[in-house]
Amino acid sequence: MSSLSYYGRIWLASARYSLTRALMFRGDLAIWTTVEVLWIGVNVLMMGVIYQHTELIAGWSLYEMLLLVGTSMLVQRFLMGFFWSGIFEMGRNVRTGLFDFVLAQPGDPLFMASTRKVELDGLLNALSAAALVAYSAHKLGLHPGPGDLALYAAMVVCGIAIHYSALVMAMSLAFWITSSQGVEGSYFTLMEFSRLPREAFKGVLSLVFVWILPAVVVSNAPARTILHGFQPLWALGLAAATVLWLGLAVGLFRLGLRRYTSASS
Amino acid sequence: MSKYAQAFLAGLQSNLVYRWNFGVRSFFWFFHLVAVYLLWGAAYAGKADIGGFSFAQTLTYFVVIFVMQFFIGAFNEDYQISEDIRMGLINQFLLKPIHYFTYRLSVFAAARVVSGAFGLLALALAIPFFHTLLALPGEPWRIVLAVPALLLTAIIQFSIAYCFGLLAFWFLEIQGFVILSMAIETFLGGQVVPLDLLPHRVFAVARFLPFFYQAYFPGAIITGRQGLDFALQGLVIQSIWAVLLVGLAEFTWRRGLRHHTAAGG
Repeated sequence: MSSLSYYGRIWLASARYSLTRALMFRGDLAIWTTVEVLWIGVNVLMMGVIYQHTELIAGWSLYEMLLLVGTSMLVQRFLMGFFWSGIFEMGRNVRTGLFDFVLAQPGDPLFMASTRKVELDGLLNALSAAALVAYSAHKLGLHPGPGDLALYAAMVVCGIAIHYSALVMAMSLAFWITSSQGVEGSYFTLMEFSRLPREAFKGVLSLVFVWILPAVVVSNAPARTILHGFQPLWALGLAAATVLWLGLAVGLFRLGLRRYTSASS
Repeated sequence: MSKYAQAFLAGLQSNLVYRWNFGVRSFFWFFHLVAVYLLWGAAYAGKADIGGFSFAQTLTYFVVIFVMQFFIGAFNEDYQISEDIRMGLINQFLLKPIHYFTYRLSVFAAARVVSGAFGLLALALAIPFFHTLLALPGEPWRIVLAVPALLLTAIIQFSIAYCFGLLAFWFLEIQGFVILSMAIETFLGGQVVPLDLLPHRVFAVARFLPFFYQAYFPGAIITGRQGLDFALQGLVIQSIWAVLLVGLAEFTWRRGLRHHTAAGG
C-alpha cells in the first residue's frame, strides 16, 4: 500500500508539472486540441462517406459504427493523455542515452518513463470521443443503466491497459534497432482494427486480429456493452487479454533494458 | 549540380542506417492494407459496386496510394527542417553556395529511394495474398500521364512539408501545425476514402485544392477512376499548384531568414 501511495505521489507531482506547463503554452494547447478534434472528424467523415453508399457494414448501422469508433478513440485519447509522450520519448531517449536520466530516478523504470508527462489536450479530447459515443447512443435510442455505464468504464480502462502494452512493446524495439523513429506508426496501424466490428473478421483474419492480437476486443467489448448489455464472454476475453498483454509488455521492456548500454558506453 | 548529387548520396547512406525502421514500417503497411480490405470488403458485401467502382477497383486504388506514399510521400521532412532551424544547423548553409530548398529536395529524393525500395518489398509480400483482388486498367496513356503526375505530387508534398518546417523561424514548436495539416491532407488527399465517393459539389471544390493532388489524383489516373480529359485538366491545375507552392516555399524562406538569429561560432 505504501508503495502504491509512493507512486501515486510521484504521478501527481508529474501531472501537476505537466498541467502547469501546458497552461504556460496555451496557444500550443489550443492547436493540439484542434488537431485531435480534426482527427476524430476525419474518422466520422470517413464513415459518413462510406455510409452514403451502403446501409450496413458487417451488420452494423452508421450510428452503431460511430459508437464503436467513438469507443476506440476514447481509449486512444486517454492513452494519449496519460502515457503517449512519456513512452514516445522513451524510444528517442534510448537512442541518445538520455534514458540514463530515467534509470537514475528512484522508482520502477517503466513507470518513471511512461508517466513522466500528462497531456491535457489528449484528456480534453477524450471528452470529444465520449460526446461521439453519447451522441451515437442517443441516435440509436439507447438508455444504458448505471451498471452498464460502470462496466463500460471498467472495459475502457482495460482497453487503455492493452493499448499501453502495445505501445510499450512497439517502443521497446528501440533497445534493438538503431532508432525507434516511425515505429510508433506500427501501434497506430494495429489499432486501426479496433474501429472495425468483430463480424468483419473471417477465417484466419479472425484468428489473428480477434483472438491473438487484442485490437478488436479493446473496442468491441465496451461498445457491445452499451449496445446489447453485459456479455460475459466479451468481458472475460477483455480481462484475459489485459493481463496477458500487460505481462508481455513488461517482459519485453525488461528484456530490452538488459541491452541498454547508455550513450557513453 | 554535383554538390546536390553528393547530398543525394549522403542522404542515401544516412537513410540506409535506418533500414530497419523502413522495414518495420513496410511490415505494418501490410496490416494497414488488411484493415482497408476488411472495412471495404464489409461495405461491399452484397453490392456489385460503390460509386460505380467494384471492390477490386477500390482495393487497387488503396494499394496504389499506399505504395505511392513510399516513393513520394513527405514523412518527416518538416520535422528535420524545423530541427535544422531550431538547432542553428542552417547557419552552415547560409555561409556556403548551397540552395537550401534544392539541398533538402536532394535528401528527400534519397530518402524516398530507400523507403520506395521497402515499399516494393512490402508490395511483393502482399501480392500473393491480394493479386486476385486487384484490377488495373490496361490503357497505356495512364502510365504516360502518371509519371508527370507523380513527380508533381512529390514536389507538392515536399513543398508543403518544407513550408511547415520553415514555420520554426516563427514558432518554437511546429508539430501541432504539421499534424493539423496532416489530418486535412489525409481526408482531402483521398487517403481514407476515394474522393470520387464524396458528394459531387464537395468533389468539385476539392479538385481545386492542392490536397487533391497529393495522393488522389495520380492514384485515380493509375487505377482508372478518372478519364483522359479529367487527367489532362488535372495536370494543368497540379502544375499551377506545384509552381505556387515552390514559390511560397522560397518566399517563406526569405521572410523567415529575416527572423533568424545565427548565434554562436
